[in-house]
Amino acid sequence: MTFACGHCGAGLQFTGVRTETCPYCASPNFVERPPAANQPHPELVVAFTGDASVARRKLDLWLGSRTWFADARIKRARIEDLRGVYVPAYLYSAVAHTEYTVSIGEHYTEIETYETTGAEGKKQTETRSVTRTEYRPLSGNHVGYVTDVLASASAGLAHGELQAVEPYDLLAVRRYSPAIITGWIAEEFSREPDDCRRVSRGDAVDEVGQRLRRFLPGDSHSDLAWRTTVSWESLAPILVPVWVLAVRYREDKAALRVVINGQTGAIAGKVPLAWWKVSLAIAVAAVVIAAVIVAIVSPGGPPG
Amino acid sequence: MTACTRCETALEAGDLRCAICALPVPAAAQPSDGKPRAQVLRCGECGAAVAFSAEAQAPRCGFCGHAMAIEQPVDPIEAARLRLPFSVDREAAERALRGWLGRRGWFAPEALSSEAVLESLTPLSWAAWLVNAEALVTWTADSDAGANRSPWAPHTGQVSLGFHDIIVPASRGLREAEARQLIPYYELGRAVGVDRPLGAGEVASAIESFDAQRSAARRHVQDAIEATAKVRVEPQIPGRRYRNVHVACLLERQTTERIALPAWILAYRYRGNPYRAIVHGQHADVVFGQSPIDWSKVGALLAIVATIAAIVALVVLLRLA
Repeated sequence: MTFACGHCGAGLQFTGVRTETCPYCASPNFVERPPAANQPHPELVVAFTGDASVARRKLDLWLGSRTWFADARIKRARIEDLRGVYVPAYLYSAVAHTEYTVSIGEHYTEIETYETTGAEGKKQTETRSVTRTEYRPLSGNHVGYVTDVLASASAGLAHGELQAVEPYDLLAVRRYSPAIITGWIAEEFSREPDDCRRVSRGDAVDEVGQRLRRFLPGDSHSDLAWRTTVSWESLAPILVPVWVLAVRYREDKAALRVVINGQTGAIAGKVPLAWWKVSLAIAVAAVVIAAVIVAIVSPGGPPG
Repeated sequence: MTACTRCETALEAGDLRCAICALPVPAAAQPSDGKPRAQVLRCGECGAAVAFSAEAQAPRCGFCGHAMAIEQPVDPIEAARLRLPFSVDREAAERALRGWLGRRGWFAPEALSSEAVLESLTPLSWAAWLVNAEALVTWTADSDAGANRSPWAPHTGQVSLGFHDIIVPASRGLREAEARQLIPYYELGRAVGVDRPLGAGEVASAIESFDAQRSAARRHVQDAIEATAKVRVEPQIPGRRYRNVHVACLLERQTTERIALPAWILAYRYRGNPYRAIVHGQHADVVFGQSPIDWSKVGALLAIVATIAAIVALVVLLRLA
């Protein structure tokens, strides 16, 4: 979509974004338009808390602290294209009513008798106390609000990638204003709200499961099954800050993609392993195990 | 005051989301001419286009450094709107302290009441939240009812509870344990607006500011309600003994009032050492605090106990021999 730059009037292309910097006058532009069915207006926004230099420092620390198995080249890699992006997402909340059935384990102790062979080869009967578990069926209800569930509505950042750098501190959320996104990249909403609702609902049911495990009585439990009915669902369009960058550590490999939470600084990325190091470690471990086995077996001599 | 459409909790000015169920509060409709267009945000000082600065948390002009004021999240330090007047005056508080010092028991020094020097006697209106809410509460617990081989059997249930005038301390000056001892004795029906002028002879006191910002307060209040719910479901649990009580609450219609509650904070000195005591601001018979211990009496008691133990041991040994 083409608009005239709000400062110099030059033509500006807005492709999948609602902000763009004019190449002629360097003015940060943003688009304001009435919300449409497939293009909602953001209601809330979490602002960036640091600039690119802060993100870069976090990244250097993170790259430096990777495991010994990581490809060593990663630590002196070239960072390409560090971009601060306001990622579109939906903030989901709902009322969750859950029915569950579970088998609750309650411990009890029993005195049992057993036979041993004494020093002179005589059989003796002794007693000991053992802890056993009695399982009792339990079924009931659990209620609560499920809040703060985020689902990515971005074409560029998958739901899992956003989840990897969550949580955001939503106490610091603000009402959306173009003043907060101006000068940054703000991606347009590009996933269907219904898809995001479905993903969020799944996350909400998982969250209920975690709460249920803390809610159950007894000393242990098994066979937990639950059915959650959500009502009063709300899906609010929100923009959340993310640093996305590519780390190029080898010319022949695709760049490593790293995502940094623009508010909290949490980092996620799959660091490639150096396979020769992994193989070496396995080989060393195999040699050690073999040596131990030999040491155990050899003093006894050959059987017979 | 408007209410959340989902849980009917009262919303406050500046709330973006409901404090209880997190439902976003819809924004006031913005007037729009309906035409999409690109815009730039201009510096109010020099007119240059500005970008949002993460450091300044506001748009800042790259040319003249001017930062624009934008709407910030509202997260004020809270302030009391109601106060309970003192009904215990200075003389009564001092009398209550002397009486309390005289009843400190056998371990207290005998001269405590006569030799204690009152250093300061400060009226304090301490900060608290006053919470009303309704909730559907689901619970689980182990109890001895229906137990088989194990002494415990699992139970579950649900109940609708109303929470009325739950006092949640938000004080800097009082410790949590101190506040808990004062709370049961306040007569909340006598609360007045914090701005109401003092009556004749009424005790003037500092109104304490709250220890938390609004955002942090909510977590605190919800934890307090859950703790109250845990106690309130106990009569529902069958059997005589129980353990592992868990609750999950669906809170509705919560209202939170901020109130200042009266107490006298007393600092006294006995033979050079400072101690602290608290007198309830409405009931002079509620007094508690620290008091010195006469270690010579404790020593004497220990010596007597040790002597008796030694005699008993000697007798037992002689018999065995």
